[in-house]
Amino acid sequence: MTLNFNLLRWPPYAVQMLNWSITVASVLICLLILPTRFPGMTLLGVGPNWLLIWVVAWSVNRTVFEGMLAGLVLGWLQDGVSAAQPTHALSLILVGALTARLQKQRYIQEDFISIALIVFGMAVLAETVIAVQFSLQTLSSASSASRYDLGRIWLYHQQIALASAILSSLWAPTVYYPLNRWWEQIAASEQPPA
Amino acid sequence: MYAIRRWWDRNSIRFGLIGLALGSAWLIRQTQGSLIYEAYRGLSQPFGNLPAETAARKTPTDPRTLELEQRLVELESQNQKLQALLGEVTQSPTKGQVAAVIGRSADHWWQQITLGRGQQDDIKIGAIVSGEGGLVGRVVQVTPNTSRVLLISDPTSQLGVTVSRSRNMGYIRGQSANRVIMEFFDKVPDVRPGDVISTSSYSQLFPAGLPVGIVESVNLNRSPAPEAVIELSAPISRLEWVVVTPNPKAESALLPSGKADSNAGSNAAE
Repeated sequence: MTLNFNLLRWPPYAVQMLNWSITVASVLICLLILPTRFPGMTLLGVGPNWLLIWVVAWSVNRTVFEGMLAGLVLGWLQDGVSAAQPTHALSLILVGALTARLQKQRYIQEDFISIALIVFGMAVLAETVIAVQFSLQTLSSASSASRYDLGRIWLYHQQIALASAILSSLWAPTVYYPLNRWWEQIAASEQPPA
Repeated sequence: MYAIRRWWDRNSIRFGLIGLALGSAWLIRQTQGSLIYEAYRGLSQPFGNLPAETAARKTPTDPRTLELEQRLVELESQNQKLQALLGEVTQSPTKGQVAAVIGRSADHWWQQITLGRGQQDDIKIGAIVSGEGGLVGRVVQVTPNTSRVLLISDPTSQLGVTVSRSRNMGYIRGQSANRVIMEFFDKVPDVRPGDVISTSSYSQLFPAGLPVGIVESVNLNRSPAPEAVIELSAPISRLEWVVVTPNPKAESALLPSGKADSNAGSNAAE
């Protein structure tokens, strides 16, 4: 509350600047954690999908368009740090759009458990989208021997989807809670004082 | 007109920010995240495993290992002399440099590692990366201080190999774990569990004769080609340091990755 009070005294553009730099910094932190494998953060050699958690945290209280935009930006970023083909943007755009579209007020409350549930579902969805992209790539490529084959893609998909979904949903609150706290305060400070 | 202008005044910052976000994300994508990896290396430096360098250079104390190493040196030099007599072009083996593994793949579908050395240490795309025990992969991307390695355990990574004992040829493909599958070109290959597998002279990306792994089990009834499960001799899932050596076949290694624009290795197949 004290922070909120202080923010009210700041000039609006300074608050905006601070808001954007904190948002960008949180994305950067998520990106920098991606290549690490801390003990306790891996399952079958798979770590949490931090960018997916970020997209869900961002999209929960935003419009579909904003969710998709965040998905596109973070998808391109992940393309940059891993491999660009098939693209990660498609899966994250879908995640952003669906998370924003969920009728949260009606079906689920906004707490740790429901965020973890959303992240679980979205992680499975995201890995499925990538697996579909790999499958299409295999089907369209002429030499089937030089690629993944379909059976192995989907066998591997089961492994990754489950491991990534479990880990991401368990770690989701660490990204969601501080970020959402901050964005709520910003939203509160933008309201004209009563 | 006035309405449009007011709308623009209200939203110009918003559009600017969206453009900025999209632009910088695209830039990072096109540069394959080199900025991110440089920052990552800077941050991981204080936590880096410094004893790695010393661990890499430790001399074996086991007398049996010492004896075998000495015999290996003897045989290698004999082999080189014989090759020279036959008029084969031999290049003296270049000494590699030790690099610490600072990160794993940033995505679950690729088996990659990130090393804490790059262009400034003269590492080039296509360089051979080996760990304690055998071949690990090859460099697919370098930034000034880091390099990204596509492991041979990646499912897209295929590599021509041969059974050291019987010279039966085949190729291996990754299984995203410490085991890879070897498919033989012959219908009835002479292979049995315990055989040593090394890269073959047909490999376009790697020089021949690098140790890869050991045959764990053989399935000769497999169709269309007989298969064997190979256990990689390098501990690929818990690598801490690796040795990077320049690749004499780097030109051909460069060729496929040039085809796949910014892709970090979907064309690793050979």
